Amino acid sequence: MRGYDAFSQTLKDLKLLPVFGNPGTTELSALRHVEDYVLTLFDGISVGMADGFSQFYGSPSIVNLHSVPGLGNSMSFIYTAKMNRTPLIITAGQQDQRHLLMEPLLSGNLLSFVGENVKFKYELTKAEEIPSAIRKAKMIATTPPTGPVFLSIPMNLMDEEINYEKQDDISINYNTNNKEVLDYVSEIINSAKNPSIVFGWEVDFFNAFKEAEELAEKLGCAVYSEPLSHRAPFLSSSKYFAGDLMPGSTLINLKLLQNDVIIFLGGDITLYPYLPSPILKGKKVIFLGMNIQPKFGEFYNVNVKIFMRELKDKIKRKCNFAKPLDLGMTTKIANERSNMGINYVFSKIKKEFSSYTVVDEAVSSSYILRNFMGYSHNTYFTAKSGQLGWALPAGAGIAMKHNKTLAILGDGALMYSVQTLWTLKRYKIPLKIIVLKNGGYVILKSYASSYYPDMENKAFLNFDLDIEKISSSFGIESMVAGNDMDELKWLAEGEEPKLLVVNVDRSVPKLFL
Amino acid sequence: MRYITVLPEFIPMEEVKATVSQILPEMEIVNDLSLDKYEAEVLVATTFTKLSRKELEKFPNLKYIQIASTGYDNVDISYVKEKGIALCNIPIANKQSVAEHVIAFSLVFLKDMMFLNQEMKSGNWPMLTGSRDLEGKAFGIVGMGMIGIQLAKRLLPFNVTILYYDIRRMKEEDEAKYGLNYMELDDLIKNADIISIHLPLTDKTRGMFGEREFSMMKDGAIFINTARGEIVDIDALLKAIKTKGIKAGLDVFPEEPPDFNSEIFKMDNVIVSPHIAGVTLESQQRFLTETISNVLRYAQGLDPLYRVL
Ligand SMILES: Cc1ncc(C[n+]2csc(CCOP(=O)(O)OP(=O)(O)O)c2C)c(N)n1
Repeated sequence: MRGYDAFSQTLKDLKLLPVFGNPGTTELSALRHVEDYVLTLFDGISVGMADGFSQFYGSPSIVNLHSVPGLGNSMSFIYTAKMNRTPLIITAGQQDQRHLLMEPLLSGNLLSFVGENVKFKYELTKAEEIPSAIRKAKMIATTPPTGPVFLSIPMNLMDEEINYEKQDDISINYNTNNKEVLDYVSEIINSAKNPSIVFGWEVDFFNAFKEAEELAEKLGCAVYSEPLSHRAPFLSSSKYFAGDLMPGSTLINLKLLQNDVIIFLGGDITLYPYLPSPILKGKKVIFLGMNIQPKFGEFYNVNVKIFMRELKDKIKRKCNFAKPLDLGMTTKIANERSNMGINYVFSKIKKEFSSYTVVDEAVSSSYILRNFMGYSHNTYFTAKSGQLGWALPAGAGIAMKHNKTLAILGDGALMYSVQTLWTLKRYKIPLKIIVLKNGGYVILKSYASSYYPDMENKAFLNFDLDIEKISSSFGIESMVAGNDMDELKWLAEGEEPKLLVVNVDRSVPKLFL
Repeated sequence: MRYITVLPEFIPMEEVKATVSQILPEMEIVNDLSLDKYEAEVLVATTFTKLSRKELEKFPNLKYIQIASTGYDNVDISYVKEKGIALCNIPIANKQSVAEHVIAFSLVFLKDMMFLNQEMKSGNWPMLTGSRDLEGKAFGIVGMGMIGIQLAKRLLPFNVTILYYDIRRMKEEDEAKYGLNYMELDDLIKNADIISIHLPLTDKTRGMFGEREFSMMKDGAIFINTARGEIVDIDALLKAIKTKGIKAGLDVFPEEPPDFNSEIFKMDNVIVSPHIAGVTLESQQRFLTETISNVLRYAQGLDPLYRVL
């Protein structure tokens, strides 16, 4: 069998189709017999699509990039996949080994280029390695902590003749548990004066919402979600859910001021910006999970789903918390109606799209989006890295098989990967898109107003785009929402991708201390 | 870096200490400045602590003073200037509270609350009342700063006609947004049913409302001052109350506390409050948050906001 056939056969054997990518001459040989290829018009978009696809469907996926330029264009997406803990197999073609010494066009040290952003990186040396290297890559990507891996494949290997050995797919089983840790943690909770739980994205990863809710119910205390969780951390409809922790040490400390014990389940702490308060000083802080990388306190490796199920039976009730009703929101919404304030806008979006999976790059409105759209299994995704341009491709990846997917983006965020619109059209991917148009980088203005007030009105924080024209140039239907936002109905209808521009209030919210 | 906060005695110290230890553990909290010398670079205080030259000289390393309120009359400005110390206040925490206070004054007068309350508590059931609507009145705002805007925003839903005067006229689109009609001061005084002052005290505004101005006001108009007592000639106001039936809502006085023997406190047409228009439980919380934020900003190596010197 030729190398290219071994490549395409391995992808089939290991259930790694479709391939997301943007090819060049160094990859054409590998793609000769690949049956299912999704083309993106910018390299990074393929990584973003694979990321969304992988997370939503719970299986690793593969990306094909073009040597140094393709890899370079994709670096921020690879970094995001690393932060998201998404199992991705990223491949790139390398120049023909036989003249690498001559440093031909499109050759380069891909392994050093990809750097620390992958768990495993390897440049194949001979064609026989094609099946086993891909299998090894998949295995490492899916072993906790999960994440992207990288293979550099010299183009000449594809034409070589090898004996193909069928690759058995890897089997993944995350069902580990640790009784000692269970005893230890339950003892700490039971002897705590005022414990609290912070849930994280692994609750979604393991679909452990029921277990998390039952645990909170048993404990009776206010529970929170980790700051800037990139997936749904808890059922936000629960009466025990007291909201998201904010990504600042001072804010976290103030929120958990009364708690002596804080248990993080399947989540971690993400901070931005720097604040000088030492985080949770003098408190017992324990992180539990499989894919997290805590920076302080104690950490134990467990499957949170199994752990929570058993922990529930070992702990005593400690509080009688019930989230107060937010009746004031009605007033806010009514007040904001005339000037398209964000709360009003989301109250409308929520009505029409409550059953959708939301991919969030609403940036300055993200915390309001989270609040309105809520969390439950596979309904919320965002980039853990802070990268912009991720949500549109990730939404496309999810919408490939899930026709209730909504991407909500800032007008700035849209432009980093706007070519995704072409892929949506080309492959008839039914993603619905809402662009919150505020004519600038509002979150930067908000940061400026807190730290450098003279910068809030800098001209370089503003831009004006004709988003409808941009959208129609890619063949995507679009509309601009009126004040009643009836166009949301139009957006939800039909199986074709659509885009709705919402001209939102341009005032700058206070988002930083 | 060393930080110190001086709190008045009535604030619960232990609670504050527990909170502050989670925010900025380096912050020391004290009740007075009785020691001879302090090493702190940063001093946080309320207006309850006098910071005259004598107290400030105890801080040879002082770089930044944060006062946790709008006013900072307790600080010896000349010393602070002389030493090049940064002095900051919190000008943004109580503007909505003041705006509500102004509306409260207006409504108490318009709805004849004082009279009705008095009557019923005396066992009477008055059949006639002078109660009026706020809707449709001309409300004159003198000084369109942050408080003026908060007031205008709140008045808009009452369907009042809003007039304003300021030394700087706003942009046309902002006037339209808040529903404002610009007028020269004299015209505003002549046309308004209610006048509320929102000016800082400067050489130009001192005594700005005197006999001439009150004589131009409509008979029975409501005059509200929550800004600074010295802006108004109180004797001229007293005369207008007597001769023109002007009603006055006063939160501020030329001298505070004022001389309670003054006739002002004996008039039915006057409602007073002790310079607390901006002091509510909620605004105190905002002062606290903003003070913490500003000190943290400094601790992060950034310039603190709201520098007055
Ligand atoms: C790839 C990338 N480039 C730049 C940034 C820096 N950045 C963070 S937020 C932001 C502004 C986002 O603007 P927009 O999407 O319009 O949302 P808004 O803040 O207006 O709500 C920028 C430029 C980033 N995070 N990622």
